Amino acid sequence: MIVVENLVKSHGKTKVLDGVTLTVKPGDVAVVLGPSGGGKSTLLRCINGLEPFQGGTVRVGDMTLEAGLSQHGNTARLVALRRRVGMVFQQFNLFANMNVLQNVMAGPRYALGQSAEQAEPTARQLLERVGLSDKANARVEDLSGGQQQRVAIARALAVKPEVILFDEPTSALDPRTAGEVLSVITELARSGQTMLVVTHAMGFARQVASTIHIMHAGRVEESGPPEQIFDAPTSAVTRAFLAQARQS
Amino acid sequence: MCHTESATENRSRRDWTRKGRDSDVRREALVVLGILAAGLAAGLAPTRAWAVDPQVLRWGADKAGGEPFIYEDDSGQLRGFEVELAEYLAKKLGKRSEVYQGGAADWSKLPELLVNREIDVVLNGYEYDPEREKLYASTIPYYIYRFNLLVNQASPIRDWIDLASPSPTGGKRRVGVLGGSTSEAYVEKRFGQAIELRRSEDVANLIGLVERNENLDATVQDNTAAVTFVRKTPGLKIVGEAVAPGYYVMLTRPADREFREQLNQALRAGIEDGTLEAIYRKYGIWNDDQQRLKYLAAAPWPPVASADDQPAEGPRVVDWGYITERLLRAAGMTLFLSVVSFPLAMLLGLFIALLRLFGPLLLRIAATVYVEVIRGTPLLLQLYVIFYLTPRVTNVALPPEVAGIIGLALNYAAYEAENYRAGLLAVPRGQMEAGLALGMTKLQVLRRVVVPQAVRIVIPPVTNDFINLFKDTSVCSVILITELTRQYNTLYNFNRDLVLELALLTGGLYLLMSYPLSLLASRLERQAKADEDD
Repeated sequence: MIVVENLVKSHGKTKVLDGVTLTVKPGDVAVVLGPSGGGKSTLLRCINGLEPFQGGTVRVGDMTLEAGLSQHGNTARLVALRRRVGMVFQQFNLFANMNVLQNVMAGPRYALGQSAEQAEPTARQLLERVGLSDKANARVEDLSGGQQQRVAIARALAVKPEVILFDEPTSALDPRTAGEVLSVITELARSGQTMLVVTHAMGFARQVASTIHIMHAGRVEESGPPEQIFDAPTSAVTRAFLAQARQS
Repeated sequence: MCHTESATENRSRRDWTRKGRDSDVRREALVVLGILAAGLAAGLAPTRAWAVDPQVLRWGADKAGGEPFIYEDDSGQLRGFEVELAEYLAKKLGKRSEVYQGGAADWSKLPELLVNREIDVVLNGYEYDPEREKLYASTIPYYIYRFNLLVNQASPIRDWIDLASPSPTGGKRRVGVLGGSTSEAYVEKRFGQAIELRRSEDVANLIGLVERNENLDATVQDNTAAVTFVRKTPGLKIVGEAVAPGYYVMLTRPADREFREQLNQALRAGIEDGTLEAIYRKYGIWNDDQQRLKYLAAAPWPPVASADDQPAEGPRVVDWGYITERLLRAAGMTLFLSVVSFPLAMLLGLFIALLRLFGPLLLRIAATVYVEVIRGTPLLLQLYVIFYLTPRVTNVALPPEVAGIIGLALNYAAYEAENYRAGLLAVPRGQMEAGLALGMTKLQVLRRVVVPQAVRIVIPPVTNDFINLFKDTSVCSVILITELTRQYNTLYNFNRDLVLELALLTGGLYLLMSYPLSLLASRLERQAKADEDD
C-alpha cells in the first residue's frame, strides 16, 4: 500500500528525516510513536505530497513520488495521489466557511465532481458513523474539539481513500473528548480501514495497532507488533521512550 | 480662461483616512466644517480695507492661461496683451509691474487673492458681471469680447444653429466649455438640453479634443483665445458669427476707490491715444467692437451703482430650483461612477491578489509591479493618461464616463488587491492543506474555501475604500465629467455671494450619500470583530 524508502528531508542544515524506511500493507493499522521532534508529522506530510523531500521515494500503490518533486506543474499527479491517501490533522482544519454537512460533502463535490444530491446521502451516513448525525447543520465553531475531529474523520472518509494518515488526532483534545475520537478511529480500524497513525496515545497503540514504529531523530528506531515493542523492546531508544511515557 | 482643479487634494486626504479607518464619521464632519470655514472667510473678508502697494502694481493672473492673455515665450519671457497692458498701466501710475498667481491654484480663485491682499488688482480676462460687483469692484472695460464657435476643419457644423441638430450618428452635439466661464452660461442658456455640455478647467484640453475629433464636436471660446488658437492650430476653424459681446474688466477691492480711479484714468488715456489699439493689433485681437471702448470710457461705470456706494440694493432672486436640480444631477453622476467602478475594482483586485500570492513567478512580479505603479502615481495622472493618451495610441477615443470608470476601477483595484492579499494571508494555512489533502486542486481550494473566508475578513476595509472612491470621483472632473465637485465649482463661479449656501448643499449631498456607507462600514467592522472573539 505505502512503501517509504530511505526518505530524507531537511530544513536548511537540520535533517528532519534521515533515511526513513517503512511499509504499510493493505488492512494494516500502523502506529508511529516517538518523542516530539522526531519527524513523525513530517513523515506523514511527505507521504501525501504536502511537503517536498530531498532524498528517497514514497510509493502509494503504483504511484511514486520522488525527491525534489515540485508542487508546481505536478498538480495532476499530486491530486491523484491525495485522492487515495486521506489525512486527519491535529488542528482538525475544518473549513470555516461551511457547516458540518458541507464539510463532509466538500471532497466528493469539489474533488470528485459529484453533485450535492449525489454527495449528501453518503455524507449523512458518515456523520452517523461518527455519531454526529444531529449536528449536520451546525456551524463548525459551535462544535467541541472532539466533535470537530470526528467531522474531520468523516470528511476524510467521504472520498473513500485507500489509506488514511492521522497526524496526532487527539493531541489538541482533553482526555474525555480524545476518548470519543479514539473510539471512532478504533471502530474504523476494526472495519479494516488501512491507516497510518502518529499519536502519543499508548493505550490506543497497544490495543489497535498491527505494527508499531518508534521514530527518533529522523529515523525509524524499531518496528514490530505491539507486544514486541511494549514488552520486549530491543532498542535502547525505545526503552527510554517507553519509560518516559509511563512516567508522564 | 484657464484654471486647473486641485483634485489631488482628495488623494492626500484619503491617505490619512487609511490610517484611521474608524474615524470616518468624524472626518465627514471635519470636511463639512472646513468648507463652512472657507465660506465664512470668503464672505466676511472683503469688507476690510487694505492699503494699495505704492511701489508695485501687483496684478493677479493665471500664467497657465495661455495666449494671447499671458504666457511665457520660448525664452521664458512673459508675454501677452495683458502683460503689456499691465506694464503700460504701471508706468502711468509710476509703479513697477509685477504679476502674481499667489496661492491661487486656478483662474477662478484669482479674486480671492484680492481679499488676501496678495494682489491689488485682477487683470486676466474677467468679464463684467453685475453680481460680482458686490464683492469686487470693476474698472472700466479694457476689451470687448465675443464668443466664437470653434470646430474641427472636417466638421459638418457650419454655424451655431447646427449645434442643436443631432450628429450623423444620432447623438447630441458635444460642446466643450471652460467650467464656470460666461461661455458656459451662454451655451447652457441658449441650447440647454439640446446639446451635451462638457466642462473642463483647461482650455488647452478642450482645443486638443476638438482638433483630434475626440469626444467633442465643438468648443465655445472668447474671440481673443479663439483667433489665437485658429492661427496656431491648423486643424481648427471658426464657424458662424462672433456672438454675445461682453466686457473684460479689472477687479479691485471695493474700498480702493482712489486706486480704481487711477486705473480708470490710465485706461481712458490709453484708449484715447491708441496705446491699447497698438497692443491689441500686435496680438491680432483688435476689431471693430473695440471702437466702443471710447464711449464706454466716457460713460459712468459701472452701469449700475456699485456695492460700496449703495449696499442696500434689493436682494436678487436666486433660482434655487435650478441650483438644486443641477446639484442633484451631478450627485447622480457621482453615484453612478462609484457604483459601476467599485465592483470592477473589487473583482480585478481579487484577481491581482491571487496572482501575487499563488501565481507563477512572472505573473507574480507583474502583479506586484502593477500595484506599486498604481499606488505610487496620482489618480489624476492615471485619468489623464487613459483619457488623453490612449486615443493617440489605440485610435479609440473613450467617452469621458467610460474613461473615468476604467480609471477609478484600475486605480482602486491596486488598493483592493492589497486588502485581499492581507485577507488571504489571514486565512489559516491549515485550510489550504486540508483542501489539498482531500484531493482538491489549489484553484478549487482557493475558490471554495480560502477566498470565501478572505472576503469575509476584508469586508470592513473594502467598505471604507468604497467611501474613499466615492469621494475620489471628484477627480473625474478633469476629464470633462460634470460630477458633484465640478458642478459646485461652476455654480460657485456664477454665484460667488452664495459660497456658504452652495458649500453647505454640496457638502450635505456628499455626506448624505457617504454617511450611510460609513455606518455600514462601522457595523461590518464590529461584526467582524465579534466573529473573531467567538
